[in-house]
Amino acid sequence: MTSERGSPYAPHADAETVAMLDAIGVDDVEALFDIPEGVRFDGEFGIEPRSEQALRRELSALFAKNDDLTEFMGRGHYDHYVPSIVDNLSQRAEFLTSYTQYQPEITQGFLQALFEYQSMLVELTGLPVANCSMYDSATALAEAARLANRVRQVSGTRVLVPEFLRSGKRGVLDNYLAGTEMTVETYPMDDGNVDVGALSELVDDETAMIYAENPTVRGSIEERLADVGELASENDALFCLGTDLVALALLEEPASVGADVVVGEAGVLGLPSAYGMGLGLFATREEYLRQVPGRLVGVSEDAADKRAYTLTLQTREQHIRRERATSNICTNQAWVALRAAIHLAWLGPSGLVDLAEDCVRDAADLAERLDALLGLQAPVHDRYHFREFVVRCDQPAAAIAGDLESEGFAVHVVGEHLLQVCITDANAHDADGLVAAFEEVL
Amino acid sequence: MIYDQARYVENGQYEPLLSEKETTEVEVGGDDSPLPDDLTRDSVELPDLSEPELARHYTRLSQMNWSIDSGPYPLGSCTMKYNPKFTEDVAADPNGAVHPDRSARSVQGTLKLLHGLQEYLAKIGGMDAVTLQPPAGAAGEFAGILVAKAYHEANGDDRNEVIIPASAHGTNFASAAMAGYDVVELPSDEDGRVDVEALEAAVGDDTAALMLTNPNTVGLFERDIEQIAETVHEAGGLLYYDGANLNALLGRARPGDMGFDIMHYNVHKTFATPHGGGGPGAGPVGVVDELAEFLPSPRVRERSSRSGYELFDPERSVGKVHGFHGNWLVLVKAYAYIARLGDEGLLDASAKAVLNANYLGSQVEFDIPYGPFHHEFAATSGEKDAANVAKRMLDYGVHPPTTKWPEMVPEAMLTEPTEIESKKSLDDLAAAFNAAAGDDEETLADAPSRTTARRIDQVSAARNPQLSWRALDDESDDDA
Amino acid sequence: MFEVPDDLRYVESHEWTSTDDVARIGITDFAQDELGDVVFVELPDEGDELAKGEEFGVVESIKAVSDLYAPISGTVVGVNEALFDQPELVNDDPYAEGWMLEVEPADEAEFDELLTAEEYREQTE
Repeated sequence: MTSERGSPYAPHADAETVAMLDAIGVDDVEALFDIPEGVRFDGEFGIEPRSEQALRRELSALFAKNDDLTEFMGRGHYDHYVPSIVDNLSQRAEFLTSYTQYQPEITQGFLQALFEYQSMLVELTGLPVANCSMYDSATALAEAARLANRVRQVSGTRVLVPEFLRSGKRGVLDNYLAGTEMTVETYPMDDGNVDVGALSELVDDETAMIYAENPTVRGSIEERLADVGELASENDALFCLGTDLVALALLEEPASVGADVVVGEAGVLGLPSAYGMGLGLFATREEYLRQVPGRLVGVSEDAADKRAYTLTLQTREQHIRRERATSNICTNQAWVALRAAIHLAWLGPSGLVDLAEDCVRDAADLAERLDALLGLQAPVHDRYHFREFVVRCDQPAAAIAGDLESEGFAVHVVGEHLLQVCITDANAHDADGLVAAFEEVL
Repeated sequence: MIYDQARYVENGQYEPLLSEKETTEVEVGGDDSPLPDDLTRDSVELPDLSEPELARHYTRLSQMNWSIDSGPYPLGSCTMKYNPKFTEDVAADPNGAVHPDRSARSVQGTLKLLHGLQEYLAKIGGMDAVTLQPPAGAAGEFAGILVAKAYHEANGDDRNEVIIPASAHGTNFASAAMAGYDVVELPSDEDGRVDVEALEAAVGDDTAALMLTNPNTVGLFERDIEQIAETVHEAGGLLYYDGANLNALLGRARPGDMGFDIMHYNVHKTFATPHGGGGPGAGPVGVVDELAEFLPSPRVRERSSRSGYELFDPERSVGKVHGFHGNWLVLVKAYAYIARLGDEGLLDASAKAVLNANYLGSQVEFDIPYGPFHHEFAATSGEKDAANVAKRMLDYGVHPPTTKWPEMVPEAMLTEPTEIESKKSLDDLAAAFNAAAGDDEETLADAPSRTTARRIDQVSAARNPQLSWRALDDESDDDA
Repeated sequence: MFEVPDDLRYVESHEWTSTDDVARIGITDFAQDELGDVVFVELPDEGDELAKGEEFGVVESIKAVSDLYAPISGTVVGVNEALFDQPELVNDDPYAEGWMLEVEPADEAEFDELLTAEEYREQTE
């Protein structure tokens, strides 16, 4: 430790400071600040510095104020078991404390890792272009709609989204389109799936994009996605499909149902529950390559004719194209993408498919067990489910959820008499406990 | 010659792709599947390696990567500071790993931390209210401009222009455009600051906001800030502060006191959260009282000391800029950093950041056209191509500065050492600058030669984009 | 010195046009040099209308993007599709193989309003 009174992360010994001031030709550091008197501040924020040890105690005590609940929650933010290797490797300072790869000659490692992340998304989506991340699934969806606005300028301004859509996603979408002519409208769902008939009534040649999710926010698996893709294609609209990195391994391949853009949550792998922090997945067709938002890693050669990686097609981005950039995004979620890639590679294809299949089996089993309880019906929608499903309860849902908290469990309230329950490999071992807690509180 | 050893990588060994090591294609569906075949895909092909193989793969990749723990990282305007290790440990607290839809009463610790961070940031920026939702600085800019737009609309005021200095970050232009504004570019005066006369001519009934970085992107404090604020306010516009350079001012001046109405904070820059090779960041936004009701929702407030903290929706909120609550883990690290430093540490951080930049500037042989600068300076490499000089600096074992930006300085080398470098380290940096300055054009054009990769051909990467290993396979098929 | 053929006409934004019945349009040697290695060219389709002084496309290098401005008004009757695969033709041969559009001029009087080779040379010196 250098100075007791300064920043613990500034290494200057007093003699060094003096030598440096001499070299500059001033007596005092304050002389280097060219700030008019009128806007000077006295430096008193009233923030007490604490030692590292004290802070670890303080924050540990603070987090202990969070109730220790077993979460059966999803709806866009999922908790899968993250293997130790993810933390261990991603925490290597060479990854964690690096910057965007503006000098590719000394950042080949991270670039390769991001290239591999892109490549795995290409394998899973069947679409040839994937960027190296958006902030989360909501901003990825919103960027897809902005892409639709750019590539479908002639054919209209309507964006059609499902009736069941997380409010956070809808909110971000509305804001990202606020500066355009685009309008967002909802189409109805039919027992947990897209109401294809109703959608076909709504869609017209003014439609720029149709958005659907698989699985839906209620966990139901879509059964007529190809029809949605067809509707979009017939009307010259973009078909944007929302999904996640685990579901992709099992459910219909987006390219095979005609998806033009795939968005969704990639942080389902690599990130534990993190209060909604995410990793936006974004993949699309080759023809929209130059309209893609965010960073892309490509392959080239170095002066010794060896394969090398570099950020590429940067003229799309804000630092070059400024107000005409495809997006304002600069810093994205690169490190989270690294974590997801490590997790994905650790699972391997069999591990990933097994995990995805368990998301269907465990949800079906748990729904059946809850359905057997007096006063509960599950799943509400007569569909296959992935990870989660909606439960109808005779008693008020909020009261049941509150009582479950007292029993140590957290679930979603999605309607006056509707709960939503999500099961993954992170909480499946507590399924008995959840069922018992339901029995207790009903 | 000052350096004669390769500092970075001894061998030119590349790490093969995961797909080159091993992939397996597995069938999906079939009799054991929990889903009928028409709802599943046919197969999945992915890398299939053992854990030890993966450990070596990613360890090797990490060895092929520069970082702040590798050495100086003086990228101007990027503010690459040391990331204290303990912040990782506090962010990893399992009790902090909660779902964003948890009831407020069950996550009082989380909400208290967020509330505490809102308060810290408000004090540091001289702002009245803060949202932590934007997941990066650019997202903060966008949120801030949405707030400005909502404010004007609430006043029945139809304004369609945002004024931005030519030397500003590209994100400013892009964020304003995303919100639907026309961008009006403002030239600099010959001293490198805002041209106040040009500003007076530019503002008017159409002006929604002026976006400004202070100190600006060549490190100069906008001395006329009070007059600038008055000019914009008199025209009915708002003043937006881009927090990219806040590290230069900590404790010495606050955007709120300068007349700014809205600001974003770049926590990876000012509050030392790790940048992770391109994120995650966080871009909290602070506003003055009058704008608080427009901030994104939800925010955190303290109900009473007995009933604790709650989430609430500001009355006329612009809504959401992130699906949930932003980049939580990053916010925890920012809180821990601010609390570790306290008033004295923050004040010292800006002192040493400005001292370091000025000392380094005094040791570098390149001309620095604008001053007096604070935390960063824009040197010019003159007749030499700044990008080539930067590549040569890689051979000398340091990361070079930001090059060719801002454009007001020809062949700019925008340099920001931050407070974390010692005199010795700055001397090494200066030596790298000066050694490159002394190298001939041919050497510069051939650099780097001592790095993992030699100079990479950007042109062919862009002309023939290959963005996945599938594309690489297709390419080699074409060759065959 | 940059090449400025005498038989072409020019605009300040560095596009050239021939004065033929079907006029060819491209960017000048000076412009390609300023841009550096061209990596991408975006051009209108055949049948599109050009309006003098309006943007008609984009040319990109690694670090820069430039709009292309129509030196004359008219109808696009030909597009140099070779540029989509070989944008480097713009660098290598800006006045011949690197041409961009063939245009049927709407008003041949517009040619007289353009810079002559000599006037353009003066501008770039």
